[in-house]
Amino acid sequence: MAETEVLVAAGGASAPQGGIVAANVRRTFGDVVAVDDIGLAAPAGCVTALVGPNGAGKTTLLLVLATLLTPDAGQIRVAGYDPVREPREVRARIGWMPDAFGTYDTLTAREVLEFVAAAYRLPRARHTVRARELLALVHLAQFADRPVHVLSRGQKQRLGLARALVHDPAVLLLDEPAAGLDPRSRIELRGILRGLAAEGRAVLVSSHVLAELEETADRVVFVDGGRTVDEHHLADLRPTQRRPWRLRALDQELLLSSLAGLGAVITGEPGLAGVEVMLAGDEEAAELVAALVRDGVPIVACAPAAGTLEAAYLEMTEDRR
Amino acid sequence: MSTAAQQVIERGGDPEPRVPRMSWRGIATVAMHEFRIRLRTGRWRWLLGAWFVVLLVFTSLLRWALAAARPTFPAYYMGGPGQVDIPPPPPIGTPMFGGLMLFVLGLALLVVPALTAQSVNGDRERGVLATLQVTLLTPTEIALGKLLAAWLTALVFLATTVPLVVWSVIEGGVGLGRVVVTMLVVALLLGVVCAVAQCLSALLARSTTSAVLSYMAVFALAVGTVIAFALTLPLTAETRSVTERFPVWDGPPPEEEFIDPDGRFPPPAPPTPPGRQGEPDRWETQTYQVSDVRPEKVWWLLAPNPFVILADAAPSTQPRFDPRSGARLAEPLDPLGEIGHAVREARDPSDHRAEPRFDTVPPEPTPEQQPGPVWPYGLVFDVLLGAGAVALTIRRLRTPVRKLPRGVRIA
Repeated sequence: MAETEVLVAAGGASAPQGGIVAANVRRTFGDVVAVDDIGLAAPAGCVTALVGPNGAGKTTLLLVLATLLTPDAGQIRVAGYDPVREPREVRARIGWMPDAFGTYDTLTAREVLEFVAAAYRLPRARHTVRARELLALVHLAQFADRPVHVLSRGQKQRLGLARALVHDPAVLLLDEPAAGLDPRSRIELRGILRGLAAEGRAVLVSSHVLAELEETADRVVFVDGGRTVDEHHLADLRPTQRRPWRLRALDQELLLSSLAGLGAVITGEPGLAGVEVMLAGDEEAAELVAALVRDGVPIVACAPAAGTLEAAYLEMTEDRR
Repeated sequence: MSTAAQQVIERGGDPEPRVPRMSWRGIATVAMHEFRIRLRTGRWRWLLGAWFVVLLVFTSLLRWALAAARPTFPAYYMGGPGQVDIPPPPPIGTPMFGGLMLFVLGLALLVVPALTAQSVNGDRERGVLATLQVTLLTPTEIALGKLLAAWLTALVFLATTVPLVVWSVIEGGVGLGRVVVTMLVVALLLGVVCAVAQCLSALLARSTTSAVLSYMAVFALAVGTVIAFALTLPLTAETRSVTERFPVWDGPPPEEEFIDPDGRFPPPAPPTPPGRQGEPDRWETQTYQVSDVRPEKVWWLLAPNPFVILADAAPSTQPRFDPRSGARLAEPLDPLGEIGHAVREARDPSDHRAEPRFDTVPPEPTPEQQPGPVWPYGLVFDVLLGAGAVALTIRRLRTPVRKLPRGVRIA
C-alpha cells in the first residue's frame, strides 16, 4: 500500500507542474558531444531565452525536449512528464517549431493546419475552425487558400508557429522563430509570444537575435560548448565589464571637450549617432551624465551601445577569442 | 481503496493507457494527406496516360500478332455438311491475357518502387518527418498510412489496365476466376514492392541510395531468383555409376546385308532392339558414370519470383471440347500455364530419363503424380517479406531515438 501511495503522491505532484525542468542533460552523437551538461528551467507563464553560439547544443537540447532524441543522461520533465518514458503525454502538451523545417509546398496553408489538427486528433469538427483561428493569429488569413510555396520565408515561419500551436500546447519549444522575419513580423512575434506566456504557457525560445529576446524574454539561459554557462532573470542581468555606451548631445563639440575634461575613454569615431564611451555599469553612467549636466552639456541621450543581453552574451563568449 | 484512487494509480502505472498503438483514423489521416500531396506534386494525368498508351499499344500488337499466327481456314471450309471436319481455332484471349498480365507486372515493377523509395528519407530531407513524429500519430500509423497511399496509387495504375483485360476476355478463352486471381496476385505483389521500397527509404539516409537499392531489390526478385536457380542447378548434380548389361552378337545381323547400290531406297531403319531377335552370342556388362541435376532441390529459389507466382497462381484454362465430336481439343498457347507448368516440373523429384531402361516400357506418368504448386510458397514468402519490411519501417520511425544511423539527422 505504501508504494501505491507514493504513486498517487507523485502523480498529484507532477501533473499540475507545468513548464520545463531539466538537469544534467547529456547527448552525444558517436564521438561528438552535442550536449554535455545542460540544466535549465522554463517555468509556465514565462518566456525563457536559450542563448548561445552556433554549436552550443541548443537545437539538440530542443530535440531532446521535443521527444525526438533520447538523452544519454539527465533528468527531464516537460509539462510534468518524462519525454523518454512518456513521450505521448509530452507530445500532447508541447508545440515544437524546428529551426529548419519544410512544409508540404503544394498544400495550402489551411490544408497544412487542418492536417496537423487531424494528426493531433482534434475532433473533426474543430479542424476548420482551429485553422482559421490560427491563420488569423499569425496574420496569414489572406493566404489561407494559397499554396505554401508562394509564401515568403517569414510567412512560412509564421505558418510554422501556427502549426506548433494547433493543439493548444502548454509548453512551446521554438528554435530560431525570428529567423527570416521582417521587423514588423518580429514585433508581431514578440506580441504573440508575450501573449502565449501571459496565458500561462511555458515558452522556450532559442535565438541569435539578442535585441529581440531582450524585449521578449523574462529569463535567459546561456549555453556554450554543450553546457549551461549562466541562468538569469533578465532583470538581474547586469554586465560588470566595461562596455560602450552611446552619448548624444545637441552640441557635439562641447560634449567631446567636456568628456575629455572628465577623462572618459572614447571608443570609435564620433559620428552622427553620437559618441561612444566605455563605462562599467549603470552607476558609472549616471555619474557621467550628472557631471556632463553640471558642465552645461545639452545631453539628449545616454544608453548602452548594445543591448544588455548582447553585452552579457559578448562577455560570456569573450574567452573564446 | 476507492475507485478514483485506483484510476489514478492505473494511469500513473501505465505509460500509454489511453492512446492505442494504431487507429484507422490515424492511418487514414496519413494516407489521405500523402495521397493529396502525390496528387498535387506529380504529373499524374500524363504518367497514367503514358502508362495506358504503352499498354494499349502492347495489347494491340499482341492481339494482331496472335491473330496472324493463328491457323486460319478459308471461309468456304466452314459449315455445311460433308465438308472437311476442321476443329474450331484456339481462342486468342488466353495467350493475349497471359502476355498482357506478364507485361503489366513487368512494367509495374519498373514504376512502383519509385512510389515509396523516398517515402521516409525524402520526408526527412525535406524536414517534414520530424514535425509528423512529434504529433500524436504513432509510428505504425505513419508507416501504414504512407504505405496505403503508395499502394493505392499503384492500384490506380493497375485499374487502368482493366479495359485491356476486358478486351482479352472478350477474345475468349479466359475464365473470370483467372482474371480475378491474377489481378489480386498482381495487386498483392505491388503492395509487397511498396513495403520493401519504403523500408529501404527508412533504413538509408539518402533518398537516391534507397531508390537505387529498391530497384536492385526488385531486380533480385524478378531476375536474381532465375539466375540463382540457373547457377545452383549444376551444383545439385549427382553422379552415380550405372552398370548396364547388354547383348552382343558376334556376327552382323542379317538385315544389314541388304545392299543398295543405286541408293534409291531410303536407308534402312535402325534395327529394332536386337535382344528380341533370338539368343545373343554373349552378354557384356559396362559401367559408366551418369550425372543428373536435381532441380527439385533448388526449385524454391524460383518461388519468390513475382512472374512465377503470377503464372503459377493463375487457374488453369478450361479444357475445350469439339462441339460436334465431343473430343478434347488442343490447348491454346498459354504463357501463364507454360511458366507454371515449368516450375512445377522443377519440383518433381522423379526423373524418368534418369532410369536406365532397356527393353522395358516406361510407365505412363499418371495425373496423380503431378507435382504441387509453387506459388503458395512464393506468395507467402513475399508477403512475409513485405510484413517484415513494414515492421522494420515502424521500428525506424519510433521516437525518441537513441542511436541514429550514420548520416541521419532527426530534424
